[in-house]
Amino acid sequence: MSTVSAEKAWDELTLSEAEYRRAGARYRQRRSLRAYLFLLPYFIPFIAFLLVPALWSIWLSFNRGGILDPAKYVGLENWRSIASDTELTGAIQNTAVYAVEAILLVFTLAIVLALLLNRYRKGSNIFKLALYVPLLAPAVLVGLIWQFLTNFDFGFINLALDAMGFDRLNILGSGRLALLTIVLAEVWRGLGFWTLYFLASLQNVPEELLDAARVDGARGVQRFRRVTIPLLRPMLLFAVVIAIIANFQVFDTVYVLTQGGPYESTSTMVWFIWKRLFQFQETGQGYAAAVVLLAIILALTAISFRVLGARRKRRA
Amino acid sequence: MAVQAGGVAESDVLSQHAQEYASAARRHRAFGITKGLAAYATLSIFALIAIVPFLYLLSPSFRKSYELFSYPPKWIPSSLYTGNFGTILHQTSYPRWALNTLIFATSVTVITLIIDTLAGYAFARLRFPGRGVLFGLVLGTLMIPTAVLIAPLYIMISRLPGWTHSGINTYPGMILPMVCSPLGVFMMRQFISTLPEALVEAARLDGGSEWLIFRKIVLPLMKPAIVVLGIFTFMAQWVNFLWPLIITTTNDMKTLTVGVSSLQGQFVTNWGVISAAAVMTMAPVIVIFLMFQRWFVQASMAGALKQ
Repeated sequence: MSTVSAEKAWDELTLSEAEYRRAGARYRQRRSLRAYLFLLPYFIPFIAFLLVPALWSIWLSFNRGGILDPAKYVGLENWRSIASDTELTGAIQNTAVYAVEAILLVFTLAIVLALLLNRYRKGSNIFKLALYVPLLAPAVLVGLIWQFLTNFDFGFINLALDAMGFDRLNILGSGRLALLTIVLAEVWRGLGFWTLYFLASLQNVPEELLDAARVDGARGVQRFRRVTIPLLRPMLLFAVVIAIIANFQVFDTVYVLTQGGPYESTSTMVWFIWKRLFQFQETGQGYAAAVVLLAIILALTAISFRVLGARRKRRA
Repeated sequence: MAVQAGGVAESDVLSQHAQEYASAARRHRAFGITKGLAAYATLSIFALIAIVPFLYLLSPSFRKSYELFSYPPKWIPSSLYTGNFGTILHQTSYPRWALNTLIFATSVTVITLIIDTLAGYAFARLRFPGRGVLFGLVLGTLMIPTAVLIAPLYIMISRLPGWTHSGINTYPGMILPMVCSPLGVFMMRQFISTLPEALVEAARLDGGSEWLIFRKIVLPLMKPAIVVLGIFTFMAQWVNFLWPLIITTTNDMKTLTVGVSSLQGQFVTNWGVISAAAVMTMAPVIVIFLMFQRWFVQASMAGALKQ
């Protein structure tokens, strides 16, 4: 074979640099195109039913109408009207009180139970199962169950009060107790989830670190505070964030247990939004309140990240 | 020690130490047992608190409503009265609500599984411009509360310009807006990232198309993740209340959560009937849960733990 024909054959088999680059670009293009095809089925509903509505909700806060008739632009009117609305400030306050009480109570109980389940593992399965069962109930049924428990005539709580010689309480009829009932209903429902969550987190703490601390003479409480908690910080951050997002949206139990009453003392933000949009036809206020809710949740999430996430960054 | 102790015999000191040690160990053990008992007592109390309210519903569902007001209260009904269940089945649309819930939750679950697995695979294993940005976008929407979306979604479903029919009270109108949960994509991406990359690479070298690789290699390995996401999604829709409440206005399109809560208005103080509906709603779920408990626990943890 002559060198010329060999070179020609070589040229046919190989690509020039420009050709090579073009082929590479073509390949990458096809590869990306295929990837986008994989994403398409998700992104169509994602854009249509999540991204667009989220942005639309902000636009709607400058409108009124919309539910029964086309929306009309009214400028800042909704914002002026909710700024002076004591019912909304009341709802924000109720939601905050509810969320703080519910999160503190359920986290405390769940961490205690998780520590116990982690330490005493024999037969712990049955306890885990039992704690999980309330999670299966929709919040609406949880509400019904708590109506039964708090009923004036035959509710367990009132029967117990009666048996102990106390006066019966009109629990859902008194503002403070009604809100507390909603807190307890949520704690009751969520306890299993958070216990299992913290238990799983605890089991991720390396045993050697705890043993090392024990050898160094750290007592139980010290080990918990100095070893377990710092290691659990990311889990705790995540827990706080999802608990805030979930609890600021409390609605189902309010709907079933109190309908926001008595005298709006259990009106929460989502209850306020729902009522304005679908009951009172005061849609403008509902739209604006929805944006307020979004802003509050984003702000609280950011604060949680700051407070709970900062320490980790500084150490690393 | 023994040398300094002088007159005292070495063995005496030792046995004294041994005795002290033994009694300390006994005290420690006794303390440990007491602690253990207290721990199990605490756990039992909370387990009872979780379970007993359900049983508390069981009793009124088998009694006539006025019996609830008897004094002193009777816990065990003297005779089993099943009329409440008959009322629910024949005088309400309960069977239809159950069917609607099944259609709603199953459809959302099936669609979610398909689109989330595909998107999760793309985010975990495929390379394309904008991957980080798009994934960040999906994660960012995790924080958007449903209450913010309901108004635009309602307007969209009820009358988008150009639509001839309203989507209110239709299955597609109920189902489609619920299928794009960001959490599912996240879970699937995390799971696929843990699968050995070599498998996919090997198939790619053998000339398999991405679709073939996904179907024949990745999908079979994803069974656990699919079961977990499936249960997670189904449960989320099974308890969903706000969306079905808004998007259904006729009795026949209600889901169980909305329907059962509407019984309160219909049977104001007929607690027997209301508790019967609650019992009928909970019983199948508890049975299914007991059969597949391991998966359930994993499902509820999956969203939380796979960060």
